[in-house]
Amino acid sequence: MSFEPKIVGFLCNWCSYTGADLAGTSRIQYPPNLRVVRVMCSARIEPTFVLRALAGGADGVLICGCHPGDCHYSEGNYKAMRRFPLLKRLLKDHGVDNDRVRLEWVSASEGQRFADIVTDMTERVRALGPLRIKSDLQTDLVER
Amino acid sequence: MERQRIGVFVCSCGTNIAHHVDVDAVCESVQGMPDVAIASSYRYMCSNPGQEMIARGIQEHQLTRVVIAACSPRMHEKTFRGACKRGGLNPYLCEMANIREQCSWVHSDRLAATEKAKALTSAAIRRVRHHEPLESLTAEMCPNTLVIGGGIAGLTAALELADAAHDVFLVEKTERLGGNLARVDLTAPHLDSARDLLTERITRVRDNPRIKLLLNSELRNLVGYVGNFSATVRTNGASGAHEEKTVDVGNVIVATGYQEFDAGRVTHYGHGKLPNVVTSFEFERMLRTGRIETRDGRLPQYVAIIHCVGSRNKEFHAYCSRVCCMTALKYSHELKSANPSCYVSDIYVDMHAFGKGCEDFYKTTSEVKTLFLMFDKNERPVIRKAAPSDDCDMLIEVNETLSGERIEIPADMVILMVGMEARSDSGEVARLVNISQDRDGWFMESHPKLDPVATTTDGIYIVGTCAAPKDIPDSVAQARAAAARILGKIAKGKIEIDGVFAEVQDERCSGCRMCNELCPYSAIEFNLDTRRSHVIPAACKACGACVAACPSGAIKGRHFTVEQLHAQIEGVLL
Repeated sequence: MSFEPKIVGFLCNWCSYTGADLAGTSRIQYPPNLRVVRVMCSARIEPTFVLRALAGGADGVLICGCHPGDCHYSEGNYKAMRRFPLLKRLLKDHGVDNDRVRLEWVSASEGQRFADIVTDMTERVRALGPLRIKSDLQTDLVER
Repeated sequence: MERQRIGVFVCSCGTNIAHHVDVDAVCESVQGMPDVAIASSYRYMCSNPGQEMIARGIQEHQLTRVVIAACSPRMHEKTFRGACKRGGLNPYLCEMANIREQCSWVHSDRLAATEKAKALTSAAIRRVRHHEPLESLTAEMCPNTLVIGGGIAGLTAALELADAAHDVFLVEKTERLGGNLARVDLTAPHLDSARDLLTERITRVRDNPRIKLLLNSELRNLVGYVGNFSATVRTNGASGAHEEKTVDVGNVIVATGYQEFDAGRVTHYGHGKLPNVVTSFEFERMLRTGRIETRDGRLPQYVAIIHCVGSRNKEFHAYCSRVCCMTALKYSHELKSANPSCYVSDIYVDMHAFGKGCEDFYKTTSEVKTLFLMFDKNERPVIRKAAPSDDCDMLIEVNETLSGERIEIPADMVILMVGMEARSDSGEVARLVNISQDRDGWFMESHPKLDPVATTTDGIYIVGTCAAPKDIPDSVAQARAAAARILGKIAKGKIEIDGVFAEVQDERCSGCRMCNELCPYSAIEFNLDTRRSHVIPAACKACGACVAACPSGAIKGRHFTVEQLHAQIEGVLL
């Protein structure tokens, strides 16, 4: 059986989660690998959420917020935007490929875009293979 | 952690969910999970019997938490919170798993969709364990209102509130009331006088003791939250002196209007260079003074009106300014009544006559012998000086779309129908009252269709042309709508504040103040005595930016706590 990645998505309530809902009402199909956690704003996403997901067995993490300029809370997405490169650098230093963590802007009207992003990300992460942080952590604990 | 009794309710949504998700398998999979007391499915969980099933389930099984796996929480979270409340459970002790919009409707592989539904449901179960009962709070509603802008919209809003016996502070930047409408002669399509419309309003505003009129004044600062704002207004006196005063208001109506597009930006129309090329507002001035004449004092025999100057054009503004077409038609009538032998050419892109009575107005204008010529918006007419041998001052070359011919039109005067644009100071106003602007600079409404006068900041309303180009009836309707919204809130006397907001845990706060600047709503105050920050619940919108940023982890984002989200992350990965 081929490897099916697990991807955790953090979606802001106002744009991206609504966009994901729109993909549903429009019956746009995408791979079932994404599991969504809803937050009110992309600014709420703490770097530890991403680390927690990766350490808990996720092979990739997708963060989605409103397009720059469209944030329901005026500029929360800019905060996410500034935080994200730092996290990416940290993850890269620890051997997590940059394709496994992704920040995208999806508006409430972009159901198709949301589905396209999930499809693309699933394919990329599938190509990268399992992340194995969880199993590595468990091995470490056993050895200790 | 204390034991919970969790009830799980899985909805089939007819076949909407059940077609691609094995609803019974989802129930079975969670039945053995710790703390799950019952798990059952139903055809339509949102129906009355479905909601009754939840409320009864809470009582019969002494449930302390409820999970509903159904549609998007954006669809029915309120419904199910209500069902929980009726069952005697605090509504925030309920969590939804979205297995329709984000599962059954987007995955056709039944096995995979069912597995995903199980994961989403179990994540909700893990999350709901950490939920806490939340109560909404109440705050006082100050009955005074601040109205910014003394145009037709601001005047109307102020009168509506003052007539209902509430105090209004009407702040106008210039020395007189009336706004842009005061620059207009007659109004389309009924040809009634703008002056008459305004005089009645202005007189009533001036005579109303409830309205504190502040001319030559500007808002300088606004702090607080809905029901409890404190506004600082600066009044500029003669000889540069100014005074500031601070007033308490519960709500703010922004009615700052528009500014006209600068016709000089369309260089080849020659405004500012050719003496008889005038803007619509310059022409209105002629109409109001009753002297329609060229720069050298002649009565123009040929008048050409060019539409969409600065509007419906990628180079300047892509939007339609809405009022110019009817205003142009009005000019035909006014020109013809001043000089019946005058030739009027109306050079347009598309004739937008969508308002009440506007189509009829278009017809009657055709009857007063106006020559209508259509041009492509990407191929503007060209104006040039006529030769001395011609019997006119200028010649306009138009590629006439309907005939497909290149036509030359004589003109002694050209009127440029300049569009509306957001005021150059709109960014400053947006910042002061904390509202958003769209890419064109117009203030953004809470919802363009369903909530057009409210903004995303509670207590701040936008009316008239500061939100987008619109005509007088629409501006007046918006002004009255905002006033009605505010009157409803004043009548209630108190405001209800949602129980979901951020909260600083005193013992962990180091007083670094990082969150103070971060909050887009200025909802975090720093207490100089305790050296700690605290959140004003009524001003907090629960975005969670401060929660994520606090270096001490001292801020708790109610209903989106670290524990709740971590539990959910672990849950979705099972």
